[in-house]
Amino acid sequence: MVQAIGGGNAPADRLLHEPTACRHLQQLNTRAGARCPDRTWWPTAWVLVALLAGSPAWAHNLGSARLDQLPQQWLDEQGQALALTALAGHRVILSMAYTQCHHSCPATLARMLHMQAQLDARGEQASFLIIGYDPEQDSPASWRQYRANRRLERSNWHFLTGSRENVRELARQLGFEFWIYDDHVLHDPQIVVFNSTGMLSDTLTSATRDWLALE
Amino acid sequence: MPSIRIPGIWRCCALAFVLVAGSATPLRAATGTDQSATLADLQRKLDESLMAIKALTERVRELEAKQTPAVGATTPAAPAAAEAAQLEATEHRVEQLERADASRKTGDSGLPLHGFADVGAGTHNPINPSLKGFYVGNLDFYMAPRLGDRTRALFELNTEVGSDGTVGVDLERAQIGYQFSDESTVWIGRFHTPYGYINTALHHGSWVNNSLRRPRFLQFEDNDGIVPAHTVGLWATGARHIGAGKLQYDLYGGNAQQIVGGALDMRNAGSPHGNLMGGGRVAYQFGDGAVNGLALGVHAFTARITADSPLSATRVRTYGGYAVYDTDAWENIAEIYVFDNQDLDGGSGAHRSHAGFVQFGYRVPWGVPYARYERAVLDQSDPYFSALEGGGSYYRAALGLRFDVDLRSALKLELADTHLTDRSREQYGEGLVQYAIRF
Repeated sequence: MVQAIGGGNAPADRLLHEPTACRHLQQLNTRAGARCPDRTWWPTAWVLVALLAGSPAWAHNLGSARLDQLPQQWLDEQGQALALTALAGHRVILSMAYTQCHHSCPATLARMLHMQAQLDARGEQASFLIIGYDPEQDSPASWRQYRANRRLERSNWHFLTGSRENVRELARQLGFEFWIYDDHVLHDPQIVVFNSTGMLSDTLTSATRDWLALE
Repeated sequence: MPSIRIPGIWRCCALAFVLVAGSATPLRAATGTDQSATLADLQRKLDESLMAIKALTERVRELEAKQTPAVGATTPAAPAAAEAAQLEATEHRVEQLERADASRKTGDSGLPLHGFADVGAGTHNPINPSLKGFYVGNLDFYMAPRLGDRTRALFELNTEVGSDGTVGVDLERAQIGYQFSDESTVWIGRFHTPYGYINTALHHGSWVNNSLRRPRFLQFEDNDGIVPAHTVGLWATGARHIGAGKLQYDLYGGNAQQIVGGALDMRNAGSPHGNLMGGGRVAYQFGDGAVNGLALGVHAFTARITADSPLSATRVRTYGGYAVYDTDAWENIAEIYVFDNQDLDGGSGAHRSHAGFVQFGYRVPWGVPYARYERAVLDQSDPYFSALEGGGSYYRAALGLRFDVDLRSALKLELADTHLTDRSREQYGEGLVQYAIRF
């Protein structure tokens, strides 16, 4: 049994003693018009959505990707220009991230750190690149702070900022699918490896075990 | 007469000529000119045209005959190196075209379709506690077309199920803006009112939110929220790096909301009384040391809000603050709101109310367990709250769990205990489950 005590300028019907479910339904029915927006145009909206759904999905051809074919104009976390071709000569491990990501980016970074440890054990050199998804949110200063906070201080790690166009073009070529939802970047974790000649070796998935064997 | 093969274009010209010439015929006929003379004139003109076409056709053949051997003659004589260079240049050009084409088809189309959806079940509906069982949540489409270096646009179209089970579509956000710099963007349209943290950090997509639902008093307007979640107006926003952190600021104004049918209405088409609302928010996000991930903010807004039933007008003054600690391990959020409202019509004077919540979440590899306590103590003699369906006081404690099924879907569970404390003294427990995806 519900005890309604109400008060102030509340409508009289709210002061009545009545079962809660009944009162809720009464209120909801009263407000049906306000709760449910005009439905005369929602079929139109669906048509619009259906048309938009025809937009092609991300298309990429990873088979032919080369480091020198990717956009080359980037700034590292120190604000210095860095071309990807400057890293040729040894392996390049590349991923994309954004500084406010607490979902999948930390796991991606952890995996890259593990890869670094594996390379260290073999005495092999490599460059690790993290390219920012959202240049409007993540400036070189943001990456510098990010790097310091996570103690990612090795000189072969680079956190890059580029123009929106370059970011999208690189993501397209390498198959990094993402979209920006306000301050969030919705993306899947992914790491790609280029061999010492700058050719794409593979895209690592959780199922990839022996990535060091990739050529 | 020998047959002449007339190219299509010349046939078109001849036809056009006949039509043009023919168009004059009725006029002549109308003036009484002899019809046979007209036909003879037309025949003569047609013959002249065909002769001209024949001459032009022969001229084209002559030119084509000259051009073909020339191309053929240079090819065998070209050195191998030049041929290779030409081939390489062609390949390069094709590659450029392919890249440009692919770019047009994907990112640069500017309008890929993305969004969120959720469904669920519970001992009570998470929004309408009088309902139980399975429910369809939201299907939310998000569009942010790219319009250039400076112009921004953002639209969020949400299909939602009303309390009576019918499906409606709401244009939750429709804003177009101009970015003056990284530190300043001005939006016009319908946007999420920048107060507190979650109203502009966690939008309509359930998947983005670690908890199963928003705090009750911060629900969207058509879900009985008591703070205007949307504003139709103008919003200036930006951020500036200061030290290791970032200062964020917002200033906005727009149509004052109205209470219609017990719910806040953000007046999409304008305010009938021309009432305006305005407010702002300032926050600082720390970037290093022990407080890295901590953000502190304050906010305030004021509006003259009228209600249709019972008729009332209230000067709503809301201010408050928030603290967020968002790191790789923690997602802790606390927000508080104070309402210093003034009854403008009824003479009941000033009223003070408050509401707030605190939520702790801990990120583990497979998801986020969380706990939340929320409370609203709302003066029921305040005409603003008494006119709102969701304007009653309450407190709620909840324990929840977000489990990431995969990268794009999450299963959320929540157990909650809610106490309504003034309009009705009622307590109910809830067991809720939600399946939320992004696409």
